[in-house]
Amino acid sequence: MTESVDISVDFAGLKLANPVFTASGTCGYADELADFIDINQLGGFITKSITVKPRKGHATPRIVETDSGMLNAIGLANVGVDKFIEEKLPVLQKLKPAIFVNVAGDTIEEYVAVIERLAREKAIAGFELNISCPNVKRGSISFGRDPEQVSEITSTAKSAASEKILMVKLSPNVTDIAEIAAAAVEAGADALSLINTFTAMAIDIESRKPFLANRTGGLSGPAIKPIAVYLVSRVYKEITRDKGIPILGMGGIRNISDAIEFIIAGASAVAIGTANFIEPACTLHIIDGIKEYCDRHNIADIRELVGSLS
Amino acid sequence: MQSSSGKGQFDATVASNRQVGERFYKLRLVFSGHGAAAFAKFEPGQFAQIDVSSAALPPNDRIPTELMNTARRDILLRRPFSFADVTRDGDKTSAELLYRVVGPATLRMTTLSNGNLVNIIGPLGKGFSISQGKKTALLVIGGMGAPPILHLARVLTAEHHNIEVEAFAGAKTAKELPFEGRLDEISRQLGFSIPEFAECGIKSQVATDDGSAGHEGVVTELLERWLDIKPGLSPDEAIIYACGPEAMLAKVAEIARERDIDCQVSMERLMACGIGVCQSCAVECQVEGSNETVYKLCCEDGPVFDSGQVVFQL
Repeated sequence: MTESVDISVDFAGLKLANPVFTASGTCGYADELADFIDINQLGGFITKSITVKPRKGHATPRIVETDSGMLNAIGLANVGVDKFIEEKLPVLQKLKPAIFVNVAGDTIEEYVAVIERLAREKAIAGFELNISCPNVKRGSISFGRDPEQVSEITSTAKSAASEKILMVKLSPNVTDIAEIAAAAVEAGADALSLINTFTAMAIDIESRKPFLANRTGGLSGPAIKPIAVYLVSRVYKEITRDKGIPILGMGGIRNISDAIEFIIAGASAVAIGTANFIEPACTLHIIDGIKEYCDRHNIADIRELVGSLS
Repeated sequence: MQSSSGKGQFDATVASNRQVGERFYKLRLVFSGHGAAAFAKFEPGQFAQIDVSSAALPPNDRIPTELMNTARRDILLRRPFSFADVTRDGDKTSAELLYRVVGPATLRMTTLSNGNLVNIIGPLGKGFSISQGKKTALLVIGGMGAPPILHLARVLTAEHHNIEVEAFAGAKTAKELPFEGRLDEISRQLGFSIPEFAECGIKSQVATDDGSAGHEGVVTELLERWLDIKPGLSPDEAIIYACGPEAMLAKVAEIARERDIDCQVSMERLMACGIGVCQSCAVECQVEGSNETVYKLCCEDGPVFDSGQVVFQL
């Protein structure tokens, strides 16, 4: 019944079977989720952050559950770009979804080094520039807060990325996200993804210490969804709509209606994060649900729905 | 859906959910179909991620006063549990989940009733391994570390007749020992033996911090005392299996190292996914032959680790 609905999307020039991605850091390097879902049914896949050198990550506790959400401070634990190419890329190479590598670093040179190592890999559709991780002391979010630095890192990364798509991941931990979005778009970003997690804290009142070893962590999950929907709507309206730059919307999506809210707000595609931890197959339910929704509302092409907020 | 790795996501049916102590419950879950096949292979020390978010809260008068404050907190993440027993019966697999009510999720679990469906991801992680050539297995439990050790005791009894097994269990007080029956009475009358171990023909000893059952002191003192008086125990023919608080595991590891006995410990970490993607449940481990350490994942590389490699957090 729903087969006739076309939910394929054009995302920064990429033809995707559907607008559903898994978000960085919530789906590993793909092989972990393969026990639970057919990854080939996804529109896109974003790896966890990759840095030049391997990173051990923070001490534990690295997570704590909060009301309708969770805090995490993993510390960009990853295998490093060399081992990623050697061990993880061969698995990703066989997959149909558009593969984005999330890139992080302490300096612009480190971001560029990772991108240059990967820019000629056929398996990779593009990069997601992580300038918004709230959990590391240097780099990352410090780039994402200042429009001038966003501009510099985006244009440098864009040259390094060569033909690949450059998507810039925005932090909500800024005074004016539209200003940051504008800087990224003007510096050559092909797409924006938003939002990353909110810097947050939970305190153990008995010990009077923070729950997390890193003291603070990023808040994700359903608790942040209404703020994320608002920020996507704002960036779409003020920055990306007129420029034709697609938004990958994310922040607390766990069901079909959440995903559709983001699309109506202006997201061309959506990414599912925390919900993968609880329901590894939720992305596939959401893909089916988007088809069903379009069918029910006589939407022949999902592009009609993007930014259709009245 | 079930994969070639054997793990998958399944619904199990509640067969019973019985209170067995002040805060302890036994939940019996029955798997059928693919779930029965997958969980028939569940090894002692492995775990499952259980979704209890949709279970109801008990009425206010059944909520312990100290949990009232947080009782209404939403449950977002699954909760990891090991099982105390797993049995195959025809085309069904039955698992016993022994839990203690400590917060909003376990509070909700108390309202699960016969026939309810519970969504479960598993079997997950690496369990205890029983190596060839061992003649003595020493089981060490601290409080809610009991379930995977009980499961191991049952498997050792059923499948490894040539291994002599001794169990040691400790808790703060008699009431906090997660076993059926009045252990304070039993220990007064018999001096030892927990009913669950007695059923397996396994001798057991109990320690409590306040002396309300068994030895007054910590469980590792019982282990050391037993090792001190055991004549002719050959270290390479013995193995220690432990599950409990990290400080206890660290002490057990130290005892094992000093006496050159193999030792496996079941570690616990806060985890979001249980399937290796969230990277939350890091366990610091020594790299063999070096001073360096790496973080392994409790959910995938563990929860059972050789005690010698773990850098305990104290």
